[in-house]
Amino acid sequence: MKNTLFVFGLVFFAGQLCHMGVPWWGVAPIGVLAGWLFPQNVGRGFIAAFLGGFLLWLSAAYLLDVPNEGILSARIGNLFMGLSSGHILLLTGILGALPAGFGYLTGHAARSAFGTK
Amino acid sequence: MKSASYLRSMRFVRFFLFLLLTIGLLWLLQTPQHVGSNTLPALGSFFNPFSGFWLNAESTAGFPAAEIQISGLKGKVEVVYDDLLVPHIFAENTEDALRAQGYVTAKHRLWQMDISTRKAAGRLSEVLGERTLNIDRLSRRRGMVFAAENAVRGWSKSPEGMRLLEAYCAGVNAYVAQLKPADYPLEFKLLGYAPEPWSPLKTALLVEAMAETLCAGENDLASTNAYALFGRDTFNYLYPEWNPKQRPIIPDTGQWAAIPRPQTPAYEPDYSSAPQEATGQAPLGERPDYIVGSNNWAVAGSKTASGDPILCNDPHLNLTLPSIWFQVQIHTPGQNCYGVSLQGLPGIIIGFNEDIAWGVTNVGHDVSDWYRIRWADAARTRYLLDGEEREAELKVEEIRIKGQAPLLDTVRYTVWGPVAYDHDPEHPLRDCALRWVTHDEPAPAEMMMLMWLDGAKNYADYRQAIRGYESPAQNFAFASRTGDIAMTVQGRLPIRAREQGRFVLDGSKQASAWGGFIPPEQVPAMRNPARGFVFSANQHSTPPTYPYYYLSPDFDGTRGRHIFDRLTALQNATADSMKTIQLDNFSQRAADALPVLLRLLNRDKLGEEGKKLAAELSNWDFRYEASATAPPLYEVWFDSCYWRTWDEITMLREQGKSVLLPERWRFIELLESDTASIFFDRQDTPQRETARELVHDAFARMQKFFEENPEKRVRWGKYRPFAIRHIAQIEAFSRTDLELGGHGSAPNAISRSNGPSWRMIVELGEQVRAKGVYPGGQSGNPGSRYYDNMVDAWATGKYYDLLFLKNKDAAPADRELARLTLLPK
Repeated sequence: MKNTLFVFGLVFFAGQLCHMGVPWWGVAPIGVLAGWLFPQNVGRGFIAAFLGGFLLWLSAAYLLDVPNEGILSARIGNLFMGLSSGHILLLTGILGALPAGFGYLTGHAARSAFGTK
Repeated sequence: MKSASYLRSMRFVRFFLFLLLTIGLLWLLQTPQHVGSNTLPALGSFFNPFSGFWLNAESTAGFPAAEIQISGLKGKVEVVYDDLLVPHIFAENTEDALRAQGYVTAKHRLWQMDISTRKAAGRLSEVLGERTLNIDRLSRRRGMVFAAENAVRGWSKSPEGMRLLEAYCAGVNAYVAQLKPADYPLEFKLLGYAPEPWSPLKTALLVEAMAETLCAGENDLASTNAYALFGRDTFNYLYPEWNPKQRPIIPDTGQWAAIPRPQTPAYEPDYSSAPQEATGQAPLGERPDYIVGSNNWAVAGSKTASGDPILCNDPHLNLTLPSIWFQVQIHTPGQNCYGVSLQGLPGIIIGFNEDIAWGVTNVGHDVSDWYRIRWADAARTRYLLDGEEREAELKVEEIRIKGQAPLLDTVRYTVWGPVAYDHDPEHPLRDCALRWVTHDEPAPAEMMMLMWLDGAKNYADYRQAIRGYESPAQNFAFASRTGDIAMTVQGRLPIRAREQGRFVLDGSKQASAWGGFIPPEQVPAMRNPARGFVFSANQHSTPPTYPYYYLSPDFDGTRGRHIFDRLTALQNATADSMKTIQLDNFSQRAADALPVLLRLLNRDKLGEEGKKLAAELSNWDFRYEASATAPPLYEVWFDSCYWRTWDEITMLREQGKSVLLPERWRFIELLESDTASIFFDRQDTPQRETARELVHDAFARMQKFFEENPEKRVRWGKYRPFAIRHIAQIEAFSRTDLELGGHGSAPNAISRSNGPSWRMIVELGEQVRAKGVYPGGQSGNPGSRYYDNMVDAWATGKYYDLLFLKNKDAAPADRELARLTLLPK
């Protein structure tokens, strides 16, 4: 359980620092790192990394969306086949979550393939 | 039982599988995706909340005060933003003011600056790919870059003008230089490219783009074909140049008596051979289908309630988001000026200062002609001029295309200009060169025109300022605090022999050239007429008694006639009465045509429903109000009459031949005066029809149309689609939800995508009071509340009180949004 929290925490907090100036896919290597450092049940770890990435992106987007009163997210929603502001926020979260989650799986698999027991 | 080595190898397989999956996922999110005809941006970087589109979500609460250092500034500049996001620039000198103007314009409109000059530069394909290649190719082939290079060469001869232009460019670049990719305007992120530094050449390209919109129109080929088809007498009958009902901009008051008729050699066109040659596939559809027009007027104190002059202007252009105009106030110790600017051009184009106000409409003279070249060799590198061979200058254009090898295109330049269409062997203008005023190197003073005008204090300053202005020619309306009103038709206007340039010209004779340009002191102008007003609405500049011949592809007399009537009747005018003219939906054309159509209609032959429709039309007041239901009936009826009358011509046009259509005013005149004209006879019936039968038949068609399409039997605002589109045609960033009145033939000249792009009313006097509105917002960012915040006010006929500040601390607290301080680095 502790490791699950560590995975989530690493992705969410390291992601905050790491995203200042690194490419958008920076969250994937953090997921890899989390998978390598904190071995545990792969399903639980994946969910933790996924949620970490999801909340990382969602919260950052939400903090910009609120003072903007949703003006831009509504327009971007129209651009993407009529989605709502809420959908755009959700989609943003998922786009942060997927690289983190898949990164975690890769890191986890790397440890079991190359790591010492 | 599986061996340890098997398990180990399975772990490797699993690792590589996940690694591949992760890399595949990243690749998918990293790559722009094609969905149908649309390209979606790379989702990963676009949605990334640390550098993607989310960073363009501006707080609706405005922005905090900021201090920024800019190299090159001589002193401190304070920019006070008002509650409409209009920057009020307070600088210690003009150069600093323009540097700041460049900076703030880029801050709010950088992508628009880029894309609007890319089109003129023929560089759209660099960022948009092959789909814009033909647009790029045509821009290059028509000599847009050639024209811009010539403009920079001309401006460079005025060191002062160039110094100011370079200060403006440096201001833009100071903004661009500090941008990180995360800060790029939204469209750069969406389309996946980066901003470039600004330069005087880009400013020139912007000017050429305006010229392309405003003064590239001509009917040379269509007129030539019509002449070949009909012969001289019928040509004159169908296409008279002067509408006797119209009110020219400058009436003849005897002021031209002293100007000798120009001594250009009489032009003897060789119509017998050239026109037939020219008949062929037409470049149909290249010209925009909207009419570009505008209104401006100035009313003397004798006609206003306050006794002070009032100046009004509403330039009609293709309406876009981000908006065409950007409001700004520029204050220096020497001048204090407010108005609208174009992104990329220093100074204010339409506006006012503490002493004067001015506004512009398009002159619309034909200043581009086609010259048929006689080639001397098969490779078409040499051509004949007065029997002598000349070498064509070959210019190789390199058009870069995203994702492809560049296209190298050779353009032949002759003494007349570029041979624009010889890349298309089928094109009827294949062997013709384009002579266009905009290609000419401008007078060095042109760049200073806006600086001088923005700082002008009286009539003499105004005339002196605009004297050097060349292209695109504009009708400059003027009013001053001291009571003067004036109008000047200003631009580089060719001196032509009668009808020279109406048809494709013979490029093998030097005598086909224009006879120079109308001297600045002889352009049509007037000051303080007894009638108490000056006005223009894209109609003829003068009556035919003006000594110089000129022509236009689309002089429009109808708006001008109604505005003339309104201004003539005007007493005790106020800003509010001016609004009612700018917002007037009355169509003089409908008022001319509908009574004639109704007179020709045999109502006894109509059924019950037909009689109802005729009654509704009879009761219409010729106003295209959004709520009126008669305008769609009239539109369909009139169009049916018009197109069925010119079936001889439309048949040819459908085959792709460019043949001139008679103007609508002439059509109405024929309905009125010559009902038995052969042209009212249908080609597809054995009997001979007259206007009466044609009108009746068209009415029946109209009735049937609305019976078959009951969803079209609606109010005008719903019937006529209207949209303010994003420049890149991105639907999500456009406004398509508006139901509006207005019509191209009414002062409130709103058509499908075109209309009053800036409505301004300025009351001169001790305190200048001004109102204005445009259909957009000051910000070019779709993520800003100021992107389209003025659209609804514009659509409902509301105006804003423009905040004209005397000093940087004069803004009322409730109208000051933020401050930006620019300091020398």
